[in-house]
Amino acid sequence: MGQLISEIKDIIKWKELLWQMVGREVKARYKQSVLGYFWVILNPLAQMLVMSFAFSLILRIPTNSSGHIPYSIFLFVALLPWTLFANSLNSASSSLVTSSSLITKVYFPRTILVLSTIFAKIIDFLFALSILVIYMIIYQIPITISIFWVIPIFFIQQIFTLGISLFLAAANLLYRDIQYLLTLILILWMYVTPVIYPADIVPAKYKLLFQINPMSVIINAYRQTILGGSEPKYISLLIAAIVSFITLLIGLFYFKSREKIFADNI
Amino acid sequence: MSNLPVIEFNHVTKKFSKQNHKTFKEFLPALIKGEDTINAFTALDNINFKVQKGETIGIIGPNGSGKSTILKLIAGVMTPTSGQIHVRGRISPLIELGAGFHPELTGSENIYLNGAILGLKRKEIDENYKSIIDFAEIDEFIDQPVKHYSSGMYMRLAFAVAVHANPEILIVDEILAVGDQAFQNKCFAKMEEFKKQGVTIVFVSHAMETVKSFCDRTIYLNHSKIVGDGESKKIVNEYLKND
Repeated sequence: MGQLISEIKDIIKWKELLWQMVGREVKARYKQSVLGYFWVILNPLAQMLVMSFAFSLILRIPTNSSGHIPYSIFLFVALLPWTLFANSLNSASSSLVTSSSLITKVYFPRTILVLSTIFAKIIDFLFALSILVIYMIIYQIPITISIFWVIPIFFIQQIFTLGISLFLAAANLLYRDIQYLLTLILILWMYVTPVIYPADIVPAKYKLLFQINPMSVIINAYRQTILGGSEPKYISLLIAAIVSFITLLIGLFYFKSREKIFADNI
Repeated sequence: MSNLPVIEFNHVTKKFSKQNHKTFKEFLPALIKGEDTINAFTALDNINFKVQKGETIGIIGPNGSGKSTILKLIAGVMTPTSGQIHVRGRISPLIELGAGFHPELTGSENIYLNGAILGLKRKEIDENYKSIIDFAEIDEFIDQPVKHYSSGMYMRLAFAVAVHANPEILIVDEILAVGDQAFQNKCFAKMEEFKKQGVTIVFVSHAMETVKSFCDRTIYLNHSKIVGDGESKKIVNEYLKND
């Protein structure tokens, strides 16, 4: 806990660098390709269309017990934050390795390298979010006050993401296999998380597995608050928040314990 | 406070417990066979020295003698295996210039990025912006991505940012090998200016003549140990004799 507070203080002192690093990622991508930011939108859109075709027209997965919601929207509400999660983990895990030339030369809080890649992915996410908004307007999905729940849910998701990212970034510096392992784990993880199917068709005996996976709770909570117009299940969300926070503490602890030998291992 | 040494190494030893096995493919068989996966290598062995404020100190020695490791320890990017290091003051490393540059970004954007890496506030960079560009002599290319820069321009920009970081300790690692004579002269003029202002300079080089004329004092490293420490001319001659 003390470690977390002192790290936050350190990052605030170096906030200029954090913004510059986020800017670097965002600008560099924009400049590198002709379509620039269009890719950020096109990717999830294409994925959503293909998956909608496969899972709604062919496999006929129901959306909600109550629902008259088109599957594509039902999917997109979950797919966007999931993609954010997966992209963040992927880029964070290699963030230290790709900045090795800096790590061996200049001192600054290393957590900034991980944080800045996550921030850059959040900016991508906000761009992609515009499609969801347009989609919801076209299909005239009613929006209620409970949409504001999205903010704390998103916050919990980012705490969880950061915790795992710190662990992966530090571990990947020692064992480069982590990156490849992660790709595999993320595929499996997506299928045990209710992204392409509704949470309420999960059989009762697997509910526990569902409970301890913060991503399940988070993804389901997005759906409940955005599409269901209801409040999330408080207990589940609280458990997810606690698990996420503990993940952050463990991730940071591991990161800090390895930080001293980062430069030795590049 | 003011008469405390700016850099202080007390019995500093640095061992690299280099992991031989970077991937599971290498690591797992080694683990099963019970091989030692940690291979210790001593880069610095019981190093002691002090640098006073305003000193210009040269570090010389053959390749692999531990020069870069000393610089990394001063810069704080590595921690010693044993012993203590005290560094008092704001460091600006000129080690391998432009490590923080991004090729796709313009010169101007890279000034801000690199400035932030060296710990500068946006305001401080704004204030020095004009002077950085003037020093680097890249006025007309400042809005071009640095990937189109020549290596000389690249280096000039990096050097310009680093010297404007308002350092109290300047670490210079073999950087002046690149760049034409005119720019080298300019760099040395700037460093002479720093010397007058009381900036401490740590200078690593293989250019013995430069070390002799530029540094007040020189440390000679060989096989991870200090084998000579004193007046530059004397130490450089010792080194040349052994070579």
